[in-house]
Amino acid sequence: MTTVDTPSRVHATLVTGRRELAPGVVLLELDAPELAASALPGQFVMAIPPSGESAATALGIYEAQMRCASLLFFVTGKRTRELSEMHVGERLDVVGPLGNGFDLSGSPRRVAIVAGGVGIASVLLPAQALIRARARVTLLYGARTASLLVEAQRFADAGCEVALATDDGTAGYHGYVTDLLERSRNHDLILACGPSPMLRAVARVAHQIGVRAQLSLEETFACGVGGCWGCVVPIVRTSAQAPSFPPESAGGSDVVHARICKEGPVFWSNELRW
Amino acid sequence: MVETQPSLAVKIGKLQLPYPTLMGSGCYGSGKEFVQFADLRKIGAVVLKSVTRLPRMGNATPRLVHTPAGMLNAIGLQNPGIDWYLEHEVPKYARLPWRVVGSVAGFSVDDYAYVCERLAARDEIAGIELNISCPNVASEGETFACNPQLTAKVVRTCRDLTDKTLIVKLSPNVTDIAAIAYEAEAAGADALAVINTVRGMAIDVDTWHPRLGNVTGGLSGPAIRPIAVLAVYEVARVVTIPIVGQGGIETTRDALEFFLAGATAVSIGTANFTDPRIPERIVEELREYLWNRNLASIGEMVGKANVGFATAHEYEGDEG
Repeated sequence: MTTVDTPSRVHATLVTGRRELAPGVVLLELDAPELAASALPGQFVMAIPPSGESAATALGIYEAQMRCASLLFFVTGKRTRELSEMHVGERLDVVGPLGNGFDLSGSPRRVAIVAGGVGIASVLLPAQALIRARARVTLLYGARTASLLVEAQRFADAGCEVALATDDGTAGYHGYVTDLLERSRNHDLILACGPSPMLRAVARVAHQIGVRAQLSLEETFACGVGGCWGCVVPIVRTSAQAPSFPPESAGGSDVVHARICKEGPVFWSNELRW
Repeated sequence: MVETQPSLAVKIGKLQLPYPTLMGSGCYGSGKEFVQFADLRKIGAVVLKSVTRLPRMGNATPRLVHTPAGMLNAIGLQNPGIDWYLEHEVPKYARLPWRVVGSVAGFSVDDYAYVCERLAARDEIAGIELNISCPNVASEGETFACNPQLTAKVVRTCRDLTDKTLIVKLSPNVTDIAAIAYEAEAAGADALAVINTVRGMAIDVDTWHPRLGNVTGGLSGPAIRPIAVLAVYEVARVVTIPIVGQGGIETTRDALEFFLAGATAVSIGTANFTDPRIPERIVEELREYLWNRNLASIGEMVGKANVGFATAHEYEGDEG
């Protein structure tokens, strides 16, 4: 019998830190050397609920250095609540890193990173990588209200220019973060992570100002590893990210459904047909 | 010195499986997707995602909604169609160290026959599951499993086209699943997969829209386990062929319920989304359970909580 790889991407980690950054916004620090060493910007993990009573939850890898990987998330339901209630010293099993992250090749010089709400959780790693590669990085960061703009200082400390926007005007620009993007100039790459309406706006603005954009999409996952086809998005069939799939789909269309967890979660905006 | 280990091996039709655990269709890809997350040396077989005659884009998103104790899905049989599948996908299954069972879906008897014949002819495919019970396609996906005559017709047609093990997957969304099961066996099925998902729906009360792109979906997970256990119990009383019990199995004790109700094997689907190590955990604990109870094999407990199980064959003449 052919040998099978031993499960190498399920990690038993230890919670080493827990901070509530704002009401309902939690940062968990994990002792996870293998995960921290292998995580690429924009990848995610499936966190296995300690109770075993619900499906695993997809969470962006916020930071990874030395032995420590951290996860930043909003409490939005039963599954994230359970994770938010974990204590230092408890064990959290995670599967990952998963998915294709941001493509930072091509030596971009001036990069706009657009983050909306919990989208901030997936953009620190790419920001750090770009700054290490001597790119100028501007973080355009929007949220409903000032208290939810967590970790902005962390990005400033990392060397990003930071511009804030809030829906209610309690911090920074009063309005959508994509308005800030519309006014920005001279970027040669846009990276974005946030709610779908924001990502659609980013795609539209990117097209208007003629800058390529990579969007990290959010969707409900079941397996997170490409096995169930539950998290798809239509993309052009000619995309390098298109799954090696049907020769012609129903109606002779030029789109195919790509799995966000496997072919994504990051896609080039001009290849999406959503 | 060497004591005999209890055996977890089971036989489903002509399929000899080292473990009584199948990975449910549509939940596990071909298994390759899970190689880095699970020990595939410790599973019985993977039931592949269903394939149809023509390519299908599948349903609009969202396709998944997590619900209390389970989830709703409405994938809509996204697949590349049988021709492309045979050329590009099936060859990849040639050297897998685990068995793969093909899954066939369709919209007419002719569809099932066309796909079943071609798929079953391939050496890479150990057996065929006839998915006559998909609740998530616009037209006749589930009609077959809801009608005893249509079930019989599909099964008989496919039976004539292959000698490979034919597993027929039944729907719980019927009044009398035993009557359908009886027809499937009479038409030549080697085994029955009991059950597919239970139809369900969720509505977003903020937007006033259904939460699934397809509006309705199939409910899986622990929420449906009692429904599935009962279905196995009822089916086991009227058929003599093996039953692959499935519906919300997450632990060894869950699996035991199905064996005791009358299932020869079990299938694990949604639980892989909670923790991909669940299947290997279940087989390890099953062996321990048999050992502790002094049982030599899974077979010794099949149907033992089912009062009608021992006399199942006597029911043959009763169905009207």
